[in-house]
Amino acid sequence: MIFALDFFLRRMAQGLVIIVLVAMLIFTLLRVVPGDPVRTMLGPMASAEVAEQTAQKMGLRDPIPVQFAKYVGQVVTGDFGRSFVRSAQGASTGGSRGGATFDASNRAPVMGLILTAVPYSLLLAGLALGISLLISLPIGIAAGLKSGKWPDRLALYLSSIFVSLPNIWLALVLIFLVSVKGGLLPAIGYQNWTYAILPAFVLAIELSPVFIRSASVAVSSNMLEPYVAAGQIRGLSRARMILVHVLRNAMIPLLNVLGIQAIGLLLGSLFVIEYAFNYPGVGLLMINAVFQRDFPVIQAIAILACTLLVLVNILVDFAATNIDRRLQY
Amino acid sequence: MMSDAKPILQVRDLTVELRTAHAPRRVLDQVSLDVHANEVLGIIGESGSGKTVLSRALVNWVARPLEMTSGEILYRGEDLRKMPAQRMQSLRGRSIAYIGSDPTTALDPTLPIGHQIMEKLKSVEPGISNEAARKRVIHTLDAVRMPMAAKRFDDFPFQFSGGMMQRVMIVDALVTSPDLLVADNITQPLDVTVAAQILRLLKELQADYRTAILFVSSLLGMVHGIADNVLVLAGGKAVELQSVDGILTAPQHAYTRHLVREMPRIWEAAPEGRISAPAPQSDDREVILSVRDVSRVYATKDRSRLFGKQHVQAVRGVSFDVMKGDSLGIVGESGCGKSSLSRLLSRLEAPDTGEILFKGQNIATLKGRAMLKLRKGFQLLLQDPYNSIPSHMSIGRIIAEPLIIHGGLSKAEIRGKVAEVMSEVGLSSDLAGSLPVGLSAGQRQRVNIARAMVLEPELLILDETLSALDQVEQAKLLTLFERLQMRHGITYLYISHDLGMVRRVCNRVAVMYLGRIVELAGNETTFFDSGHPYTRALLSAVPAIEHRPYEASTYLLEGEPPNPINIPPGCSFRTRCPFAFDRCATVDPMLTARGKGDFAACHLAGGGMPASVAAAGTTFA
Ligand code: SF4
Repeated sequence: MIFALDFFLRRMAQGLVIIVLVAMLIFTLLRVVPGDPVRTMLGPMASAEVAEQTAQKMGLRDPIPVQFAKYVGQVVTGDFGRSFVRSAQGASTGGSRGGATFDASNRAPVMGLILTAVPYSLLLAGLALGISLLISLPIGIAAGLKSGKWPDRLALYLSSIFVSLPNIWLALVLIFLVSVKGGLLPAIGYQNWTYAILPAFVLAIELSPVFIRSASVAVSSNMLEPYVAAGQIRGLSRARMILVHVLRNAMIPLLNVLGIQAIGLLLGSLFVIEYAFNYPGVGLLMINAVFQRDFPVIQAIAILACTLLVLVNILVDFAATNIDRRLQY
Repeated sequence: MMSDAKPILQVRDLTVELRTAHAPRRVLDQVSLDVHANEVLGIIGESGSGKTVLSRALVNWVARPLEMTSGEILYRGEDLRKMPAQRMQSLRGRSIAYIGSDPTTALDPTLPIGHQIMEKLKSVEPGISNEAARKRVIHTLDAVRMPMAAKRFDDFPFQFSGGMMQRVMIVDALVTSPDLLVADNITQPLDVTVAAQILRLLKELQADYRTAILFVSSLLGMVHGIADNVLVLAGGKAVELQSVDGILTAPQHAYTRHLVREMPRIWEAAPEGRISAPAPQSDDREVILSVRDVSRVYATKDRSRLFGKQHVQAVRGVSFDVMKGDSLGIVGESGCGKSSLSRLLSRLEAPDTGEILFKGQNIATLKGRAMLKLRKGFQLLLQDPYNSIPSHMSIGRIIAEPLIIHGGLSKAEIRGKVAEVMSEVGLSSDLAGSLPVGLSAGQRQRVNIARAMVLEPELLILDETLSALDQVEQAKLLTLFERLQMRHGITYLYISHDLGMVRRVCNRVAVMYLGRIVELAGNETTFFDSGHPYTRALLSAVPAIEHRPYEASTYLLEGEPPNPINIPPGCSFRTRCPFAFDRCATVDPMLTARGKGDFAACHLAGGGMPASVAAAGTTFA
């Protein structure tokens, strides 16, 4: 109990520092790279004077630290601000309408935008993780048990192929073959959960090599631990040593990979794949926000993604310390 | 000569070969032996004699590149080699148990020990209920005198010390009441007092469980303590089989005679064994190293409090002087603080309090040039000759390295010095251009010695320097050290757990317990008339074939040193001291003089302990 409390307090504090740093970085970067959001908001027709006025009114001309402090003040109350671009009705507003002023009140709140997109992304990510574990665990474990033999080689070839497939290419090929030609699965947009299958599959293929590799390494290195041979001399069967001990202990490195690599990779690829499939998740929201210089949306998604990563890591590490108590020391 | 009943284990002409790319090499060559019910058969041999392969073969655990090529291993008439795997599996654990030399890696590190022993019990005896299995395991834990057995049932392997873990493995082996136990070097990694406890325990359990034991060891003194008969293994061949006493008094084979003769003696003056002549006894010798009230505390995490810290008191107020030309041995068991002290002395760490004066200068406060200059004067040699030598440099360059760092010498001078030192430590000069790959452990250690010696140090700190070497190589290096001492007047500080070696080479001995020096005395006093019960306990536990002045029955300790976190007031040895009395609980005894140059930290140092039993002086060789 004490350990758990100590662990979580410590890790949460560290995590908070990381999140604040990431937020600062994103915030600053957005404001130093070229591209003025006011231009996209008001469109090319607005005069420079009006643009400047709007920008000042929105606080975009204040020094960055001041802007950041204001932003943080908002965020702690749970308010991530409003989108620069999207209207509350859900449609994206371009600058082409040529209005002279910018009315913040009819813009969509960022939190609302994200909350509508999150369930779609969760479905996609969960499905992707599931499919990829289903593919890679049997292959990886077999490779680890028969290290140096054909399952090991098979695993290696398979992962090499998977790694060398660019996800966007694979997405296009699958859309063409399975959806357009074969008509087996829907691909573009979202109507029901079957729309998530194809993109999830593409993500799963991208995730699998990491899992196959770490499963096979974890299992084969555990098989070499002295306790495995010793156990068989003590009178336990090889099958039992593998099932009860080796697989259990191999979970620890796997969990770590899951926590760090997999979630990171997933977050990155999610953007691309959702865009490719026009899948209405957080990724698509983010990509569009980047194109439109929609600062509040970009910031919010970056901060939340970072928070998610930190949380998953804490949970994964905590799970690992429960499998192997030595990690608590 | 044993019972007339059929032996439970018969090995006939067992041959094991090592399959290499070239010709196969015989690791075991037609070994035969019998083990009868209730017999303890000792197997003795040096490293490389094939004793571990033999003991593993007896549980049919021979893996490539090793291969059993011929012979039979009959367990109650049934050949293990021909047995179906299924049958072998059930025989292992139930009837033939095996304990290896590394108890800390024998169990799954992530599960509680009790559960793992239960797992084995249930898989070997499928019918047994959880309740009964658990009871039996706890009962057996009690039998090996595991303190708080029921509680420790749920502890994880890493929470046990090496000695306690070996007890756990004994429980694991005996819980099924097997009729044969193969104990392969089980005391090897343990401290002497712990090893002696395990040996005594095994002897008692053997009597209770009536298990036949095959006790394999490289130490004659260890086998001597437990076995009825001894099989001597040399180069894969069984060269002699005799009763233990027979081996000692009338060894037949030349190898056995050699083995018995080379056995390090502590109390009997071996004819050519003693190296160090007592150092010059004049009183006005220079103090080269002076350690004054040095302490070191390490902070570790306290797991019972939020963000808590614990303080491990590794070294507690240690003081001593080393005179020029002395060889001081610092001995003690793991956790006694000798390695921490070594780190302080070699300036890898600074003491929290106190000072360390080398030739009158405090090594902790010196900086820069002055430090570099002083640093030349004392050198540290570590145990592991492998990690300390860079593999990509030529040997000559490795040895020259310290000279280059300290500077001030021309290339030719350096080359000359390196050549000189190399010949002095016994490395042939044509090695100078080659890389250290392929050097034997002994040669590597010589490279290390040469590297220290080029700087012409006045003090060498030897931290378990010779522990990894075999007896023969050790003896050669000790002779080398002695020669260097005579020629250059070097002072040595041996930090070691090996009392036999310390007896041979040190003229003074400091015994450490729980971060303190409890006795500091001359060689003879330490070994024949020690003033501290702990020193006596150590001496009573050394594996030896000699008559010893301290009986294990009087002095052998139970349990293990308390942890150095909360050291109670009073004498820190009192929790295990057989002579503790009221005053020990309140008054902490200081290191006080008992004779000329002899000190002990015990209230009874002046008298009150049983007199040492006079050595009878029997020689076996
Ligand atoms: S002072 Fe007391 S407890 Fe300490 S060693 Fe001496 S007799 Fe034993």
